Amino acid sequence: MADNKEALIKKDRLRFTKNKLSSTLIILAIIANALYFVSIYRSDVGSYYYKIFIGASVVYNLIFMLAAFLASEGVKNYKLSYAYVSIVLGVLQIARIFYLPTEAHNTQNPMVGFENETVMSGEQFTYVTVCLCVSAALLVCAGIAGIMKTTTLNNYLAELDKKQ
Amino acid sequence: MSDLKLQHLEKIYDNNVQAVFDFNLDVHDGELIVLVGPSGCGKSTTLRMVAGLEDISNGRLIIDGRDVTQVPPKDRDIAMVFQNYALYGHMTIYENMAFSLMLRKENKNEIHQKVMAAAEILDLTSQLNKKPAQLSGGQRQRVAMGRAIVRTPKVFLFDEPLSNLDAKLRSSTRREILLLHKRLNATMLYVTHDQTEALTLADRIVCMSMGHVQQIGTPLELYDTPANLFVAGFIGLPPMNLFDVEIRNGQAVCEDFTIQLTEKERDLLAGYEGKIVTMGVRPENAVPGGDITVDVISNENLGQNTLVNGTVGKHKITCKFRDWCSYKYGDKVSVSFNKKHFFDKETTNAIRA
Repeated sequence: MADNKEALIKKDRLRFTKNKLSSTLIILAIIANALYFVSIYRSDVGSYYYKIFIGASVVYNLIFMLAAFLASEGVKNYKLSYAYVSIVLGVLQIARIFYLPTEAHNTQNPMVGFENETVMSGEQFTYVTVCLCVSAALLVCAGIAGIMKTTTLNNYLAELDKKQ
Repeated sequence: MSDLKLQHLEKIYDNNVQAVFDFNLDVHDGELIVLVGPSGCGKSTTLRMVAGLEDISNGRLIIDGRDVTQVPPKDRDIAMVFQNYALYGHMTIYENMAFSLMLRKENKNEIHQKVMAAAEILDLTSQLNKKPAQLSGGQRQRVAMGRAIVRTPKVFLFDEPLSNLDAKLRSSTRREILLLHKRLNATMLYVTHDQTEALTLADRIVCMSMGHVQQIGTPLELYDTPANLFVAGFIGLPPMNLFDVEIRNGQAVCEDFTIQLTEKERDLLAGYEGKIVTMGVRPENAVPGGDITVDVISNENLGQNTLVNGTVGKHKITCKFRDWCSYKYGDKVSVSFNKKHFFDKETTNAIRA
């Protein structure tokens, strides 16, 4: 009985409080992404890939941060679509691991004197992979939390409407 | 809720200016006390001393039997409502009301229940998701009150909470505060310079002037038996008419009129034979018909009453007649005084039996 009441109050609270959990998780995901991109454009990687897709990567980072921020604001206000955006962004973060970082890690460094090294060292590859994985995990968690809370709130509001 | 004792409270600022002198007051559990007086009389300073926002220079402050004179404001268990609402503009109404409890790290479900209960009392439930800027002045003040209610403090302090509202809103919010007081049965200390607020809200009024308490009593006591000239002049709207009269052979003699004193008044003024005293007559105690002639200057119709301003010889006088009157400048109206107050000319204290 007491548990039911607690659960009901918890649901009712959603009407007046923002979804700060999902919002904060997305902001943390943006920070993890920032840690990724300040590392990925190191001079040797940047010099080797100094062509169009480095530019595309930079643009994607900017778009990602904007989209993630918008998603953060959206899920904060219980917008279901933004929760899905957050999950999609999370999946894309995982996909990014297999693009620039993996390629750079698997390519031999063409510079004289670095014949035995790859363009991206193993250490750096691990670091950027962890950053992207953390960012992805946070985004997916934020999305799932957003979907759960928003659905709960919507169902509760529908119940209230019925009662009235 | 609890009682409050202010014992010999004094406030002396660093520049040796004394704002409050020997303030003594016992506020009983569930009582609404109104501190009233003109600007600069020390009423807000007294309230701020109770809140802990001003240091107490001398004296003791006791809340519920505990001496809190040196206790910091946050530990006094007091909630204060300010004139300017002091709401957080970036927070919703719900967050504003819940904020103090969140700072205390109370259980979120309990906070929710308290906020919803307060919102229900103040009829703010439908406004909880709005920001303060989206509310009217009266609603904002209700939010400020709600923020105080959720804390269930021992004492509520109100510092001129209605001063920022227009006349109509002030009247309705005043009624809400009164209902709130009845509903919560809370101990409240309320500061205002508006005597209407004081008279309508208070269980007891503390009238102050120049840092001194002039009189403490029920609204009726202050209105009917003012302790001195200051209270007589301050309480009542329009203010009391004052005349210097000489007591001579059972009469109050003024250069412009002579009034026959009643037997009771003669007994009261027995020691003042041949002396000059101040006679006070409230405008509503000047009634049409009598042997004092008023030369009308202006006629103000207020609906069920009419204020007639005029002169009796050199003296200005205001009469409040019950009916709708249409006097014109220069008309002559005969009046008599059905109740008079007498004050000692030197001490300004009321002459009492």
